[in-house]
Amino acid sequence: MSQKPGKPDSTGDTKKPATEAKADDASRPLSEKIGFSKLDLSVEEVEERISPRETNVFDK
Amino acid sequence: MISTTFPIDLVFPPQGHFTQPYLALPCIQAWLKAHGHDDVRLTDASVLAYDRFLSADYLARAARRVDESLPLERFRGLDELPFAEMEAYRAAVESAVAKDALIGSIDAAKAVLRGEDCFDPDRYAPAVRTLYHGLRLVSAAHFPSVLTPHNFTMAYANDRSAEVLAATLDRAANPFVAFYEEELLPALVARRPRLLGLSVIYGSQLIPALTLGRLVKAALPHCHVTAGGGFLAYIGKKLMAAPGLDACLDSVVFWEGEGPLLALADALKTGRSLGEVGSLTWFDRGERATRGGVRTVENAPAHPVRLDDAPVPDFEGLPFELYFSPETVLPYDVNRGCYYGECTFCTLPTVIGPGYRTRQADTIARQVVELRDRHGARHFNFITDCMPPGMIRDLPDALLAHEADITWWSDARVEPRAYTADGARRLYEAGCRKLLFGFETATPRLLKLMKKGQSARATLEVARNCAAADISVTFYAMVGFPSETKEEAGATLAFLLENADVVREVSLQTFHIDEVSEIYRDPSPFGLTMLDDPEADLQLYHDYVAEEGMTQEEAAVAFEEMMAGFRAHFPIFAGDNIYYFMQKSHYFLHLARGVTPDEFAARCRERAEHLEAVGGDGPWRAADGLATLELPFSYTATLKTLAHPLARAIRPDFLTGRYSEEASARARAALASLPRNPRLLAYAAGAAGASEVVELSPQAEPALSALADPRCDAAWLARQEPADRASLAAFAQRLARAGLLRAGERAVLTPHGAPSTASASPVPHS
Repeated sequence: MSQKPGKPDSTGDTKKPATEAKADDASRPLSEKIGFSKLDLSVEEVEERISPRETNVFDK
Repeated sequence: MISTTFPIDLVFPPQGHFTQPYLALPCIQAWLKAHGHDDVRLTDASVLAYDRFLSADYLARAARRVDESLPLERFRGLDELPFAEMEAYRAAVESAVAKDALIGSIDAAKAVLRGEDCFDPDRYAPAVRTLYHGLRLVSAAHFPSVLTPHNFTMAYANDRSAEVLAATLDRAANPFVAFYEEELLPALVARRPRLLGLSVIYGSQLIPALTLGRLVKAALPHCHVTAGGGFLAYIGKKLMAAPGLDACLDSVVFWEGEGPLLALADALKTGRSLGEVGSLTWFDRGERATRGGVRTVENAPAHPVRLDDAPVPDFEGLPFELYFSPETVLPYDVNRGCYYGECTFCTLPTVIGPGYRTRQADTIARQVVELRDRHGARHFNFITDCMPPGMIRDLPDALLAHEADITWWSDARVEPRAYTADGARRLYEAGCRKLLFGFETATPRLLKLMKKGQSARATLEVARNCAAADISVTFYAMVGFPSETKEEAGATLAFLLENADVVREVSLQTFHIDEVSEIYRDPSPFGLTMLDDPEADLQLYHDYVAEEGMTQEEAAVAFEEMMAGFRAHFPIFAGDNIYYFMQKSHYFLHLARGVTPDEFAARCRERAEHLEAVGGDGPWRAADGLATLELPFSYTATLKTLAHPLARAIRPDFLTGRYSEEASARARAALASLPRNPRLLAYAAGAAGASEVVELSPQAEPALSALADPRCDAAWLARQEPADRASLAAFAQRLARAGLLRAGERAVLTPHGAPSTASASPVPHS
């Protein structure tokens, strides 16, 4: 899941189209069993940095 | 007098809200045309800028700029992330993980807000969020400047003229330099206006307005550049005394603009001296000039216009299709000034000019009908500090008599004699759907000190009458008024929460003192000592020391506590319903469609509860455009540090735009660096979940891959150990709640870890 170089005409670094991702997935060996219960699968949600404080009283 | 040879341009500079047009320039355009100047052009540069910045190609350009100026690689080599680098790290991370998704979804998001989908909360909230995040990318490209739908700030202090003027020249951090050069200046140069008028209502417009003034003055030396508006009514005099300001402006118009702009245009056209133009302060660049070849001249005030004689505001030229609103909402001023005018904290009525003036109810109804027919607009925002009791009674009758068939909302003062049960019903019949009252506080002692002339009980009675008539009620409230204690702020919060079934929204502000207020002029009755900043030559707001009650810092803490209470108890503040509070016009349009405040609150409540429960309804498929990113430092820990009061203090105060001198040093000394902590960030633009971005352990990579891999189908899942299936299912459930996975037919997992009968779908990831 590391960053990969972007295409020359892309905007950068991180993301690939879904089709490319699918091809990559298929080329990787598939683990028959993965011990998910032993992994840290915690999910930290990021609260929106939207604050009513940042609303001008005149905003519509 | 026909003036086809005297082109006039009126521009509303960024940054203002993007949901509806502003009123001042249409009023001035109508006045100028009514008095013979028919070559007037109106430009809302603020909404043009938002539309341009929030476009796929501009965001792609912004992303390339961030790649060059704030590459994430710069942080990968660090052993620790010091506080001084955290803002930059945050901007780099957010841009890197979201840019492609934002570029891909921004046009659709704008289309949602401009069309029928705006009324579907499941389409609306993700679309607004995409706009907010798009502006983060724009901001990162001009780091450390920050543009939001509600504000624009740079690293330059708004209350120091040298910094303001430097900001107008900073191409790297000021996004409006290039925007003007590319989008506005070519047409202006081709048109060669003789007079350019800039409307500066907010402090956030100051730097963008002067930036445009500088560019126009350089390109069109014969064009007179003037500026006016609410914010300049406060600081215009100081601004005109600032060294170097004459490179950006030729004059400032104070207070109401109609008369002065007309007199200025006539004087410029005929070559007369500007000395006779009322309410104008201008630079005399003639032979008598002294200071640097320029002499500042302050003219006498102009007479205000008789409002009933003012023509219908002329919105011609404004790009109605670009406002981020599914239906046009037109502003219209029913009166100017405040008939009450006693509140010790309020200086708003002073910026429009002397006295209180109103249109007749019949004039209002007639003009509103004309605007309705001219623009096909059924919705209005009546601009007023408050309507007197007589108008509250007369206006509904006039609107009904003229068969206006419109809906409207406006600010209001608590008038128990007018907002009776019958009066409120009559207002509803005449289209009133939302009123915003100055409640301020529940503490009688403070209301007296404020000279509000109202009691909390009377305010509540008025609110109940309006709510019973299905008019949505908003209260303006403030915290930190001189001598207010923490207990009193707590009592105000308790009062508001007790009445959350009547009061739908609370617009809360911390108390600030500006130089025009009675409190500033005579602080002793309030137990205050004013603090001046000799370096701030454009200072408008002042810090103070209070003999009793909360300090300014304590008031800021009380503000956060009150806001947390609102988020927890008011449906419109819960979860992403907050966007309806942030974009008030959008909430109003629901009311205008016949949704009652009770029904809307119930919908908001249901939506918040539904989002909390999302994840229980598998099977799932991946959100479109799911992207992941490896991080050297925790993003959530960075945000947590930046949310610390000491860290927040390094940004300019939202209301005043002021920087605190020692804030940076204090924050750097007190807030610890973050240790290296490899993390994984996942993001999906436009996700209808609670979060749309989550932070994971790198150990989660195999689980994400499994969810993405089409070979990990039902048969493969059945071969996993039960405990592993359960872990993967719980993981997917949490991602679904955040909006990164969506309920769908082709997913691999159900909530309990049982394989679904459908085959697996690819989950795009990197």
